[in-house]
Amino acid sequence: MLAELINPYYLQVASFILINIILGVSIYITLSTGQLSLANAGFMGIGAYTSALLTLNFDLPIIVGIFAGTLLAGLFGILIGIPTLRLQGVYLAIVTLGFGEVIRVIFVNWESMTKGAVGLSGIPHMGREILNTLRGFGFDPKILGLQNNQFVFLAIFLILLVATISIITFFRRQNRSRVGRAFAAIKLDEKAAESMGINITYYKVLAFAQGALVAGFAGTLFAHVLAYISPADFAYHRAVEILIFAVFGGSEVIWGPVFGALFLTAMPEVLRFISEYRYMIYGLIIIIMMAVRPQGLIDVNILNWVKLKTSRRGQKHGTSSQKSM
Amino acid sequence: MVLQVKKACKNFGGLSALSDVSFSINQGEIFGLIGPNGAGKTTMFNLITSMFTPTSGEIIFNEDNINGLKPHLITKKGICRTFQNIRLFPQMTAEENVMVGEHCRSKSGVISSVFRTKSQRKEEDRIHSKANELLEFVGLGGYAEVVSDSLAYGQQRRLEIARALASSPQLLLLDEPAAGMNETETSELFHLIKKIQEQGITVLLIEHDMPLVMRLCDRIAVLNFGKKIAEGTPAEIQNNPDVIEAYLGSEEEDLYA
Repeated sequence: MLAELINPYYLQVASFILINIILGVSIYITLSTGQLSLANAGFMGIGAYTSALLTLNFDLPIIVGIFAGTLLAGLFGILIGIPTLRLQGVYLAIVTLGFGEVIRVIFVNWESMTKGAVGLSGIPHMGREILNTLRGFGFDPKILGLQNNQFVFLAIFLILLVATISIITFFRRQNRSRVGRAFAAIKLDEKAAESMGINITYYKVLAFAQGALVAGFAGTLFAHVLAYISPADFAYHRAVEILIFAVFGGSEVIWGPVFGALFLTAMPEVLRFISEYRYMIYGLIIIIMMAVRPQGLIDVNILNWVKLKTSRRGQKHGTSSQKSM
Repeated sequence: MVLQVKKACKNFGGLSALSDVSFSINQGEIFGLIGPNGAGKTTMFNLITSMFTPTSGEIIFNEDNINGLKPHLITKKGICRTFQNIRLFPQMTAEENVMVGEHCRSKSGVISSVFRTKSQRKEEDRIHSKANELLEFVGLGGYAEVVSDSLAYGQQRRLEIARALASSPQLLLLDEPAAGMNETETSELFHLIKKIQEQGITVLLIEHDMPLVMRLCDRIAVLNFGKKIAEGTPAEIQNNPDVIEAYLGSEEEDLYA
């Protein structure tokens, strides 16, 4: 019964959706201090390559690779965040986009290490590693009535789901704290925030580094889910794709980019014939959103409306809980 | 003495916005800074709060030289300001605006905020209740949840004062708090500033509403074209010929005009 429901293809699509949601969150974090960074594809690449190379060349466990890749991306976030503090708006976007391209070019040209444009293949696969480890303890997916590949994709999906939920929870809590208020104040009026005693240098670099950490983390997951990466995965297209999640879904609340990533990753899968025109559609989306709904689909008003609807329904059924959001 | 400004100069390129301005403010007084438009009053505020660094001269707060400190450190030392053109955080509620003001008097970081440690929750409670007290104090008791953008103009001015008070300043700088207010609002503002003084907070006030300045201030300094032309009690200032000339022009000028 369970076995028939678990389709590896759907699980894989769901896994990509989750990775994209994490990427969407990463651009949201830097945007929440008013900084538009397009470097997240680059940070993602740093995470992916670091983890892949460590696990391929040194036989390190995947978890070590994930940690190292995430931290290195975060470190680069600090390195890029400090000199770009003086830049705002378009200028920051241009510089960070340039950084992403520099990273890609390094991946292409550092052939002795990265195998250039061919990319790295045979990266340890997260699901298979888990299966092998469990097998060592005498576990067999058949106990659950699953085939091997079903188990592999299910394991990946569950790990990504836990990771995504943890990240969203982390940043929702941060948002509703002193740190989140500082971020919002900087976004709304940097000078006023500074005069109210907020160390804007610290918080802007913090946001940049957090964005880089999360993007790098998504990159490491990407490498170990796909088992194959190449510089093209982290090129300009990826940077734009991540940006679209925030433009389409909205960047006022964390649910904006989450929804954007979910919808825009699922759409080409559901409507197969669309997927070839994907980048044209992205372009259209940017133009339409600019004109019609610059704040994105999901904003505070929509959330309040949803809250109102759901809490009313809850009261009817007697399951209303105060302050659920 | 809370604040001493010693021979402060500020040049913008070849233009001298302030030259050799000196004055000092005593603990607990309301000190007025007046002068015609463009006299350099707001520039003075920007020097005190380190939004500009002085070209020369010293600014001393509680015996410490605060020249060149970062603006957020000035706030931490105990100087906070409001702005001539209101600069609230528009999409935040009134309460959130005040809560931001408490930033430098609280210290929870990322980790304690995400894991909601006991001390963090205590601190959040404290921030909440203080924000509401301050809203009550400036007469915005029922407006905690209102987005600051949709408050009336006079209310926004008072909210800015509440936000500045949230940083527990020793010295509060008010930049034209009565601008655009009607008479009732101005008289409410008068009582509010008096109440602030009663709390032991020293106030430095820029204001164009002369009746308010004269009733409110203990001492006044007058700036004109970047120079201090007079200093003294309201009565002395009102009878100072230089001040009268600065505001009304001299009779000779009238002849040639």
